[in-house]
Amino acid sequence: MKDRIKALYQTHILVKSKDNTLVGQLADATHSLEAYNPMCGDKYTLHLKLSEGRIEKASFEGFGCAISKASTAILTEMIIGKSLVQIKPIVDDFLELINGESKKDPESITNDDQLLAFAAARAFPERRTCASLSWEELDSLIDEMN
Amino acid sequence: MVHWYVLRRFRIKFGMTAKIIMNIESIKSQFPIFKQQTPLGKELIFLDTAASAQKPQTVIDAISSFYSGYYANTGRGSYWPANAATNSFEKAREKVAQFIHAQYPEEIVFTSGTTDAINKLAKAHFEHLLRPGDQLIVSEMEHHANLIPWQELAKRTGAQIKALPVDQEGQVSLSDLSALLAQRTVLVAITATSNVLGSKLDVAQISKRAHQEGAQVFVDAAQAIAHAKTDVQHWDCDFMAFSAHKLYGPTGFGVLYGKREWLDQMEPLSYGGGMITRVGITSAKYLRKSPHKHEAGTQHIAGAIGLGAAIDFVQEIGINEIEAYLDGLTQYALAKLKNIDLLDVKGGMERAPVIAFTVEGIHPHDLATFLNEKGISVRAGHHCAQPLMTKLNVHATTRASFGIYNTKADVDALTDAIEEAKAFFL
Repeated sequence: MKDRIKALYQTHILVKSKDNTLVGQLADATHSLEAYNPMCGDKYTLHLKLSEGRIEKASFEGFGCAISKASTAILTEMIIGKSLVQIKPIVDDFLELINGESKKDPESITNDDQLLAFAAARAFPERRTCASLSWEELDSLIDEMN
Repeated sequence: MVHWYVLRRFRIKFGMTAKIIMNIESIKSQFPIFKQQTPLGKELIFLDTAASAQKPQTVIDAISSFYSGYYANTGRGSYWPANAATNSFEKAREKVAQFIHAQYPEEIVFTSGTTDAINKLAKAHFEHLLRPGDQLIVSEMEHHANLIPWQELAKRTGAQIKALPVDQEGQVSLSDLSALLAQRTVLVAITATSNVLGSKLDVAQISKRAHQEGAQVFVDAAQAIAHAKTDVQHWDCDFMAFSAHKLYGPTGFGVLYGKREWLDQMEPLSYGGGMITRVGITSAKYLRKSPHKHEAGTQHIAGAIGLGAAIDFVQEIGINEIEAYLDGLTQYALAKLKNIDLLDVKGGMERAPVIAFTVEGIHPHDLATFLNEKGISVRAGHHCAQPLMTKLNVHATTRASFGIYNTKADVDALTDAIEEAKAFFL
């Protein structure tokens, strides 16, 4: 039991879930995305400053479980300074990484330790939406803008 | 390990004091789900009975023997097995009537559950009574099932929804109700027992007050039905609904109780076969009497038979005995949970076997996942009561709730695991 639960809540996730560095509003945000799971009540708002297809600044606010908060924090951190074109494959990879039905080995998808920590969600299908919540919202925005 | 619980003492005819003793292990052994382990090889410690109760073998067998032994549609065939099926179906109606202390079996209308009953009642009855500006009163702690159908009804009719405030213990005050009733009110729709705080309302008093102002009363008994005696005549409610699955019975089946005069007077709950007298291409005449005027189409016959068996199961133990046992277990759990540092129990001490709580620094979903690894099933989230969550100023809580198969050992496992979760997460 301990191993499974430790795998799910790896240090990366527990640490990130308490990291408030990027928590807050963004005065000059161009986009605000609401990521909300009505089944559990977890809710985050991603604030983005987009300029010429590039995310110049990003922050987030909201509340939820350790997994959803860590995944939102890592997402926010990861997208700053990148273009939507660069971000899209990372989002796709992340969603593949946490998908329990994926045939791909997690290590073959990414070598980023922070992202790999979420691969444990594969064994917890009921927690998959916690990990994917904010990522899917960003994915929708990217799709819309294309 | 055998747990013997002394439930209560009572004086029998000969002036002796006897003890009613209930062997919970023997009752638990009647629930086949507990004979297996969870996929992680743990014993199942099921603490989510408020969402849905587990099923005893007698209920499973009753459903199975209907399908395998005397299956046919009800009310139509003059042959065996149709008459046997009809007898069992109608017998279930009588059992329900007796169980909830209805005056007549005709006051029992079968539905697919509490939610279905409320939706149908809103459309078939209250939609015809409401005028723009009329009021519907609900409490702040209603389950979404007893809120959203009324919201939609208010939209369709121009009526207004007013919220009866609840305090931190999940109680309402009659003076608040009286103040709201000053406006023309058609309906007071209220839960008998909160599915989050476990608080039990004085439905009879609420009913009396509402009736004095000419309002009708609907009682959501979904949460109350399995834990305490339900007496619709004492409550004097106009309508009441509950779901079979919370009473150790099958899913997809439930009951709308209504006073006979209302059920005979109101529009049919739904239309189709079985509720008509004469049918032409452009119009039809309907049965005038409840319950069959309200039960269009083939019914969930196995559901009714399963509910009948569930009522037999409950009555075999005794609803008062179940209440006393679960009350003792709930008090034990409250005392243990309140002893845990950083844990905050929502609501008061006097309650049904439902305990929602938060642990500072651990999100309810993380706690629920941690507990699941130990075979402990609890519910995390808003429990379909978002307005109450807002009132309590929480986004989500963890909820443990008990059924007749739970023991003090289950509570001990829960509290031990919460302490372990704290060590892990904090």
